[in-house]
Amino acid sequence: MYFVSLTARNVYTRKVRSSLTGIAIAISIAVVVTMGVLTHSLRRTAVSILRTGDADFSVAQKGVSDVIYSSVDEKDVELIRSYEGVENAIGVLVDMTKLDEDHPFFLKLGIPPADLEGFGVQIVAGRKYEPDSQTEMIIGYRAARDLGKTVGDSITIDDDTYDIVGIYATGQVFADAASMTSLVGVQTEERKPGVVTLVFVRITEGADIDGLRSLIEHERPELATVRTESEFGRIDRNLELISAANIGVSALALIIGAVSILNTMVLSVFERTREFGVLRAIGWSRMRVLLCVMMEALVVSLSGAMVGVGAGFIAVEILARSPDLVGVFQPDYPGGVFGRALAIAFGMAFVGALYPAARAALLRPLDAIRHE
Amino acid sequence: MSDGAARPPAVQVFDVKKSFEHGLVKALNGVTLTIGQGEWVALVGPSGCGKSTLLHLLAALDTPTSGRILVNGQDISSLPNQNRYRRFEVGLVFQLHNLLPNLTAIQNVEVAMFGNGLSHGEQGERARGLLEAVSLSHRQKVRPPGLSGGERQRLAIARALANNPSIILADEPTGALDSASAEGVLDLFQRIRAERGVTILLVTHDREVAAAADRIIQMRDGRIVETAASAPAG
Ligand SMILES: Nc1ncnc2c1ncn2[C@@H]1O[C@H](COP(=O)(O)OP(=O)(O)OP(=O)(O)O)[C@@H](O)[C@H]1O
Ligand SMILES: [Mg+2]
Repeated sequence: MYFVSLTARNVYTRKVRSSLTGIAIAISIAVVVTMGVLTHSLRRTAVSILRTGDADFSVAQKGVSDVIYSSVDEKDVELIRSYEGVENAIGVLVDMTKLDEDHPFFLKLGIPPADLEGFGVQIVAGRKYEPDSQTEMIIGYRAARDLGKTVGDSITIDDDTYDIVGIYATGQVFADAASMTSLVGVQTEERKPGVVTLVFVRITEGADIDGLRSLIEHERPELATVRTESEFGRIDRNLELISAANIGVSALALIIGAVSILNTMVLSVFERTREFGVLRAIGWSRMRVLLCVMMEALVVSLSGAMVGVGAGFIAVEILARSPDLVGVFQPDYPGGVFGRALAIAFGMAFVGALYPAARAALLRPLDAIRHE
Repeated sequence: MSDGAARPPAVQVFDVKKSFEHGLVKALNGVTLTIGQGEWVALVGPSGCGKSTLLHLLAALDTPTSGRILVNGQDISSLPNQNRYRRFEVGLVFQLHNLLPNLTAIQNVEVAMFGNGLSHGEQGERARGLLEAVSLSHRQKVRPPGLSGGERQRLAIARALANNPSIILADEPTGALDSASAEGVLDLFQRIRAERGVTILLVTHDREVAAAADRIIQMRDGRIVETAASAPAG
């Protein structure tokens, strides 16, 4: 008999209790996975707005709840463009709108046609729109494929009908599923004259990127510069909140899981006091008793975690189909989420089993054998 | 003690005292005894006279209040590793078998062998050999609740032998058995002593059981009151 067989045997002997504990663990882990995937995916979606342009860093209004509400004066775009070390700065007005039930969050980017190349946009069919046209539009090749549209078709967004004059590709997934039209057109329609959402900044080679960023933030305190995903919270409070909720919920799940392990293992050790006393009397070391209890907790916890990861997957897929989230929430399963689920399962087993295991290990064998 | 190279006695107890409850209960009041290698000694005496207490001290499950205990010449108050001692030097058999109810007969033997240096295969082999020695080969896969009282106690003896101890310490091993089963257990002790040369210290209330031993030590109130060669069973 292997030591793990003994562990499995002990867990199996208490089927009902082990299963109930496993379920508690599974629910905790499912929540962790769901929240983790949700947060990660929403972050990725949000970040991909920044990534629509091929830029070294982006500039947006500081502290808005959602990056889509950012408002930057076009004059500031000019100012940034004038800085030494800036190769190009492109202001883009982003509008997110409902196309139909399947596409509730369709992106429309307002950008001067002259800036398209600098923005990394390649026209793969048709042509660009005119600078002040309010009816011409180009759509990304993914959007074209998805919507079944091609050059010459028309598309209706928010009661406005556009002629599709071109198809483009950027190599950025998010941008290629979006549409672009003239900046003036979007500004007029959104009643946001002279305003853009984001500024995409490209620097000249060798320029001091950090220096530039502090210069911009110093001269325009209402603006924030963002370079990496982790800085994204500076211009998108919602994402920061979701991330915080994710951490909070994971911590809570860890505690709940650990407490249920604790509860089960305390009971199980108490019931087996005599058994552990006998094992110590026939030569088991304290360490082995400790290990025995810990392993049992680990088996329950990891089994629960496996079920939980599966349940988390299912929850994510259901969420992804919920009408409120289609479009913004495209599930993406980062390895880190599973790593974290595993780490939390280990953590729960360790934290939950430590006290009962230590208790079992520290029993005096004689007292334990006398225990009824 | 004919020559200097002879093995030391299996057990030497020198003026051992043991009290509980801050000295209020004096379980042992100065016990001195010697048990030779391969000897079978029965320890008898009225309830509460300290038999189990002495056995527990010998098993290093408890420590004397004063006095010295040598097992195979080694002072067990200064053991470098108590677990090793309990595992390899002594084999314990209790009145209630104290087997693990959820493990099969053979697993109950194997459980004593974790980390004893044998490979998994060797452990299994030895466990099967021991079950054969206690005539339980046909019951390998049965769990203790499915065994008779005598079978359980024989299984407990197999477990006590799992790591080849030189001394078996048995506390009323036949106490819960009918006389036929008790006889089977005593035969088994007889056989393992003959085959393995183990030393046996057996605590009992029962005069007949005691008679199976080479020597009977009588205790009363925490002292040894009489030591006698057992009368040949008749
Ligand atoms: N842990 C303990 N705490 C307090 N008193 C104890 C403890 N262990 C034993 N005693 C006392 O020590 C005395 C000797 O007990 P012991 O168990 O050795 O007797 P025994 O000879 O084995 O009796 P029995 O035949 O009933 O098993 C008894 O008075 C008992 O109550
Ligand atoms: Mg007793």
